[in-house]
Amino acid sequence: MEHEKWVLEDPMLGMIFVGASFVFFYLIGWYSQRAAKSSTDYWTAGRSIGSITNGLGMASSYMSLATFMGVTALILKLKVPFVYMWIQFALSIPLITLWYGTPLRRMGAFTPAHFVRERYGVHTSYVTVVFMILIMVMYALGQMIGVAKVFEMLFGINYNLALICGGALIVGYVTIGGMYGTSYNAAFQMILMGVAFIIPLGAIMKAMGGTGWYFPPLLYSDMVPAMLDAVPDFFDMKYGFKWYLSLIPCFTLGAMGLPHLGMRVYTSSNLKSARGAMVWFTFFCGIVFCSTYTMGFSGVYFQATSGSAIAPTDFDKITLILNSVYNPAWVLAFVIAGAIAAGLSTISANLMAIGAMIAQDIIATIKPNLSDKTMKVIGYLAIAGGGATSILIALNPPDFLVVSILWAFGLAGVTVAPLVMLGVWWKPANRYGATIACLVSGLTYIVVAPYFFPSIVVGGGLEAKVGMTGSLLCVPLCFFLLTTVSMITNKIPALMNRFDYQKDHVLIDKIHGWSDSSEERYNSNTAGIIVAAVSLFFCIYAVLPGGW
Amino acid sequence: MNSAYKKEIRYTLIFSALLLICGHLGLLFVAFPGLQNHMIFGFPSQYIIPITFGWLVLMVVVGFQAKLTNALDDEIEELNAGLSENVE
Repeated sequence: MEHEKWVLEDPMLGMIFVGASFVFFYLIGWYSQRAAKSSTDYWTAGRSIGSITNGLGMASSYMSLATFMGVTALILKLKVPFVYMWIQFALSIPLITLWYGTPLRRMGAFTPAHFVRERYGVHTSYVTVVFMILIMVMYALGQMIGVAKVFEMLFGINYNLALICGGALIVGYVTIGGMYGTSYNAAFQMILMGVAFIIPLGAIMKAMGGTGWYFPPLLYSDMVPAMLDAVPDFFDMKYGFKWYLSLIPCFTLGAMGLPHLGMRVYTSSNLKSARGAMVWFTFFCGIVFCSTYTMGFSGVYFQATSGSAIAPTDFDKITLILNSVYNPAWVLAFVIAGAIAAGLSTISANLMAIGAMIAQDIIATIKPNLSDKTMKVIGYLAIAGGGATSILIALNPPDFLVVSILWAFGLAGVTVAPLVMLGVWWKPANRYGATIACLVSGLTYIVVAPYFFPSIVVGGGLEAKVGMTGSLLCVPLCFFLLTTVSMITNKIPALMNRFDYQKDHVLIDKIHGWSDSSEERYNSNTAGIIVAAVSLFFCIYAVLPGGW
Repeated sequence: MNSAYKKEIRYTLIFSALLLICGHLGLLFVAFPGLQNHMIFGFPSQYIIPITFGWLVLMVVVGFQAKLTNALDDEIEELNAGLSENVE
């Protein structure tokens, strides 16, 4: 069958919609920036964001360009297993809030690395900051390349020019607005992308003959029999138990380690507002995620029933293709503006995280006595510098940085999440355990990935490429090393006398809301032994052959 | 050890388990293949149940999580207030 290459027929309307949305982003950024009176305000939006705005912002940081492009392409390719991979992403903010979001909000943290510095010391924090910046650059790079490709398609200019112009526009409004601008822009972008995704999808379903077009996220069961006739394996689970199990360490714990998601909790006006935002996040995230599955379903249905085969290189444009086939040109233009908004909201959050880590976790640690005015200028420079670096790397990206963004989730799960989770909940965790666990498991995750040393790979195929096989081994490895090394070194006075571990214990009680400190709380060695034993079991299970 | 602390640990473990169940029902269907391919609301069970749990049921769980952990914060604050009164 001959594949039809899809091109945008009339880019003018798209340019108008995208141009207008950028005007809004800059206005919101400029207006919000005036509220930032100090560098703390700049990074945490004055810890004043309400629950609905924050819930929208949380969901928006998560709805990357992948929602409009990558996900539907992968549903087209993988069918239902990819839906399972996506569903669990909605757990991120509730789990972050439950495990460490509210304690770190209470502490007044800027980033998870800030907590690592206070809890495990400066040297451990440098190790985690390096991993976190690498994760954020990989994440932002993927989005930056995606936005440049949409600009390239829209304006008919070459990739490099599209990247520099689009990238500069994005970095500009993020730098101007800081966390205030990013939060309010993210809320606006979430509404824009939600409307641009769901309403046109309803029209597509109606045109396809679906009777549930008025609620696209769930009402398309009448299309199922035709789908089963055309694509009998669409609902097959295809993979083994290990594949589905590895979603937990790779993506659920991985998302818990992403600094830009945790930072959303710290902008809340208070803890109750943060928890309210978590409920709103689940609502907004769920409605868009479910619509994404519907879009993927419609794409597979379209390809199977319309007789017009989509070229594999165009799989990621299925949302745009369906809109160009079934909806008027102005709707397609609106959808393109929504897709760009989705990319921007994620890049903004990534750049804020990179900037905060450079300014607050590195520069402020090395030079602690800088004035607030200087720190604010450093903040602007850190974000602009991080953005400019992302653009420069995206001009000719090294292969190892354009591996799947999903692989970066696994790296966050391996290097960040265990340190923060145990750091908040288990007093015996110490800096020796944290540093060794982060370094050894992080480097092991890199070594066993198929990108660097193809002869040393755990598992194979797609699951190895997206980091699922590596995470199933390295996340438990990190928990195992953190607990065992900490328990062993806690028994060596020569090591423990080098720092004030009592101060760490007081910090843990304090961030949980206790005004007094008690050695009875969060201090169970039995819990540490259980975590170590379970982790060791999963390490062994991960390297056993089969099960995928 | 006071009851608020035990409650905090209990809530964290229970809600972690509930959240993981909501987001990872695929595991159940792959572990027990007999649960697959029953039509529910017109969709195969292995498709619609995880999707519904991953959104609507998750919202309910998260709502309870917010309510109970907010109440727990208040309880800890009361204990702290009692503690500072005793000190005075």
